[in-house]
Amino acid sequence: MIQTTEAKDQIRQYVLDEFAKTKGINQITDQEILTKNGIMDSMGIFRLVAFLEDTFKIRVGDEEITHDNLESVDAIERLVIAKSKK
Amino acid sequence: MDFAWNDEQAAFRKEVLRFAKEELNDDIITRDKNEEFSRELWVKCAKFGIQGLPIPQEYGGGGADTLTTVGALEMLGYGCKDNGLIFSINAHMWSSEIPIWQFGTEEQKRKYLPGLVSGGLGLHAMTEPGSGSDAYSLKTRAERHGDCYVLNGSKTFSSNAPDADVTIVFANLDPSRGPNGVTAFLVDKGTPGFTVGKKLHKMGLRTSPMAEIYLQDCEIPVSHLLGKEFGGQAVFTSSMEWERICILASHLGAMQRIMETCTKYAKERKQFGEPIGKFPAINNKIAEMDIRLETGRLALYKAAWMKSQGRHPLREASIAKVYVSEACVQSCLDAIQIHGGYGYTTEYELERELRDAIAGTIYSGTSEIHRVIIANMQGL
Repeated sequence: MIQTTEAKDQIRQYVLDEFAKTKGINQITDQEILTKNGIMDSMGIFRLVAFLEDTFKIRVGDEEITHDNLESVDAIERLVIAKSKK
Repeated sequence: MDFAWNDEQAAFRKEVLRFAKEELNDDIITRDKNEEFSRELWVKCAKFGIQGLPIPQEYGGGGADTLTTVGALEMLGYGCKDNGLIFSINAHMWSSEIPIWQFGTEEQKRKYLPGLVSGGLGLHAMTEPGSGSDAYSLKTRAERHGDCYVLNGSKTFSSNAPDADVTIVFANLDPSRGPNGVTAFLVDKGTPGFTVGKKLHKMGLRTSPMAEIYLQDCEIPVSHLLGKEFGGQAVFTSSMEWERICILASHLGAMQRIMETCTKYAKERKQFGEPIGKFPAINNKIAEMDIRLETGRLALYKAAWMKSQGRHPLREASIAKVYVSEACVQSCLDAIQIHGGYGYTTEYELERELRDAIAGTIYSGTSEIHRVIIANMQGL
């Protein structure tokens, strides 16, 4: 079973390292909308999905790759936890 | 890893090849010249089961997995010289059938899919005069008015538009959300305010119809929303992933057909007292064709296999798309060169193959955009 805090830490760190820092942003909140401030674009979303699938051993369906599911660290964590329970 | 087709797949590929060779090649030079789309051939393909290959059987499809579908389309491209017809089939499958299957409500699936797999024609309308590679900057607007959406805007480069029964229109429902406002809608043929504009003339793929589309106060019921409000990116991205994996499978077949044509010619054509295939200048070109074909197959099969496993092969699909499209263009150029003056004539059909092949480096994301995606996946 995936631990909530651990999952959130891993997601936050990945988003920071792979997307935010390359744009000069060194801190993000868990509620921050990632597409709104330019941290994440449509291609970045696919890298993120690949990371989630590899790290948490889940499969994210096409219909689940939506703005609502991936808009913030909190939302991503919710998706991961929900998927891992299935 | 296992690269062998199983008995069932091998038998089906053989049957597709037979069908394509026997049924789909009549008058192709004339139809290309006159820019004629053949609805008769379209229906033949549908009856054979091509258009329905990946769609579940409960909606009238064949229920084939991605790799089997790719294998069948490869044989279609091997046997059928009408690349425009095959392009139309691909546009139909990946940009209308698949999104309806993946994102449609049960009611929408039951309403549209049985018709689309059995001879109906669909498309999606995304590209606009001002938005191509930057697809989500589209200007077409959607507004919710009670139980309806009202669409206004225009689309271009819409393949299959002149003959389509249903069009998936992408429009922005809330421009303040930027790309996240994009939403997909199903628009039936004949809906007031939906007009197909002038037919576009093209360098290649001339047997595939293409036109502009105009939406003027086009009112559709809320039940015609495809996916969720503001969910257009998911619909489009999913559709493009399928398309980029599968659309060039037929190119592999065409590359094999062209290579075999060149090999036969190189054995028969004599210059300086010898078959030209004995000269390294010629046989090296054929060897390069074979290398491109084999490496292209590996790239495309891998992407299709990953999709079959439920994964998202964005990087692999882009690699396959760039590689196979550009390899096909090079093989066509080499084929013309091997045939010399004859290769430049319409009668030998290689100049048409080249004109058709060039489109592969442009549609479904240009080669340049796919290189951006590949670099982006490396974190650049």
